[in-house]
Amino acid sequence: MFKKTLTIFKRDLHVSYRDFMSLFMIVIPIILAFAVNAFAPGIEDTTVNLVFIEGENTETIAYLEDFAKITKVKDYDSLEKRVLRRDNIVGFVGEGEDAYILTQGNEPEDVVMFAKLLKTYSEYDRKVEDSTAIIKDFGVKTSPTKILWANMGILLTSLLAGMLISLNIVEEKMDNTISAINVAPISRTAWIFGKSIMGILVALIGCSAMVLILGLAGTVNFLQLLIFVFVSSLISIMIGFLEGVNSDDVMTAVASTKMVMLPLAASVAGYEFLSAKWQWVMYWSPFYWVYKGNLSILNGDFTWLELLWHSAIVLGIAALVFAYVAPRIRKGLEN
Amino acid sequence: MITVQNLYHSYNKDDNYAVKDVSFEIPKGEVFGFLGPSGAGKSTTQGILTGLLQLQKGNVTVAGYDVKEIKRKMFNQIGMSFEQSNVYSKMTAKENLKFYAKLFDVPTRDPDELLEIVGLEGKGKIRAGEFSKGMKHRLTFARSMLNNPELWFLDEPTTGLDPAIASVIKGIVKEQNEKGVTVFLTTHNMYIADELCDRVAFIIDGDIHLIDSPKNLKLEYGESKVEVEYGDNGKLKTETFSTLDEKDKKKLADIIAKQNIQTMHTKEATLEEIFIKVTGRELI
Repeated sequence: MFKKTLTIFKRDLHVSYRDFMSLFMIVIPIILAFAVNAFAPGIEDTTVNLVFIEGENTETIAYLEDFAKITKVKDYDSLEKRVLRRDNIVGFVGEGEDAYILTQGNEPEDVVMFAKLLKTYSEYDRKVEDSTAIIKDFGVKTSPTKILWANMGILLTSLLAGMLISLNIVEEKMDNTISAINVAPISRTAWIFGKSIMGILVALIGCSAMVLILGLAGTVNFLQLLIFVFVSSLISIMIGFLEGVNSDDVMTAVASTKMVMLPLAASVAGYEFLSAKWQWVMYWSPFYWVYKGNLSILNGDFTWLELLWHSAIVLGIAALVFAYVAPRIRKGLEN
Repeated sequence: MITVQNLYHSYNKDDNYAVKDVSFEIPKGEVFGFLGPSGAGKSTTQGILTGLLQLQKGNVTVAGYDVKEIKRKMFNQIGMSFEQSNVYSKMTAKENLKFYAKLFDVPTRDPDELLEIVGLEGKGKIRAGEFSKGMKHRLTFARSMLNNPELWFLDEPTTGLDPAIASVIKGIVKEQNEKGVTVFLTTHNMYIADELCDRVAFIIDGDIHLIDSPKNLKLEYGESKVEVEYGDNGKLKTETFSTLDEKDKKKLADIIAKQNIQTMHTKEATLEEIFIKVTGRELI
């Protein structure tokens, strides 16, 4: 059985590399990770951007470079244009008594306040060493925005892995090859396992690649990540099979996936925006538990007991859904 | 090789049967034609025999296996060529055959050899999606021979093929049958059935009306006639004579002796005419 299961998997893999959409789904976690890396702010990123005119305030610039991102422009007109652009950047104009801070007027208050404080510290020549503050932390070095994106990326990767399965089934339906498989000496179980490997591997490899590219490897327990991604990908595989047998063409399968995005997005929004007393509203959704579990894994504070508990909930919901959809999947694969 | 006893099948699981009380036996090495118009119950019967449809009522054994509980290894002995071609369009012809070959537990034939047999030599590296309908059909047919089947199900094997290729396919069927392969041929093409089958079954509305050899059917239901086309005083005349009636025989002999014969054909009944005569229905 194992050999035939592998044959089915190898065929799907082979064909997926020839199909643009499937190939896109295989590489999207990597593209997504690079995109998040490029756009998500790191924890070391400064919260204030300042612009100066070249040749002015050289001492102030040297002092402020440790605390802010400095941009230099050639003259006042250029500085004015730069400040008027849509982002939050504060202009420092003039020196001594004539010096002033130039803003658009719509910057967040804390940005302007921070710029003012920096100017004051610079004028009074205050150093970081002068501070008596003692800082204690939990050692989290990753930006919360990056973790949020990584978590959504992992969810999306699992979902796309399921969609890859649905596309392969749609291909079989369009080519009418399921009937040929049904008269071949391969069991339905071996065929389903063979079809599922692709989804599981894409989810496991894609999510691991994403974590590595995002530089989260230091905080993440990889064994926990792989186990939990495997558990959550079972839901995606089931969705993939259901979408596959219910779709007659690629466009229908894509449309079905869009529909699944709805509970997925609702689960993320529910976890992030609902107050603690209303979190129970989302308990029905396996995506909620997957998102919650992934968040703990990415923060590096998921205990094995929590992993077991979250996996059991996800598997329990998956089993209930499977009991409901299994007859439809079976019927869809009969011809 | 196949035994079917009192087979019933209803798609809605009610008394509206697509196949009702069908019984027949096919010994090893026979080419058995299952003939009938669309919706007669041919595909339903074949679906049950090949495990594509679940057996509801009746007893069916195929290649020694009871189809009540289909054993997957049964398909190592069976070949199935579908009416509607079903090959992976994103894979090449050879990849299609190699993939299916890996699913069998028995020795399989060389894909290149099979492609050559069906006239697809040199096309092995072309994706099946780029094939014409006829080429896809031939690839489906070739695939059904991969495992050297003892029992071969052929569903409309020559549909959509040009006469030359259809003739090649018929030749392959005859050749395989000479090697001892049992063939279950489902078709509404009476000419192919006449040419290939040892016995045929006429099925209408889920009922088998008769089972016999084409030769016996022609003897029983046909009329022995000769059609003659001859020149008579510069005009072309056509007449049909019975070869059994003494008066007709004499008249025919007279025409042969005195007139200028252009064409002369025996007019034995075709299987199609017999089908219409027996069932009262046409093959549509």
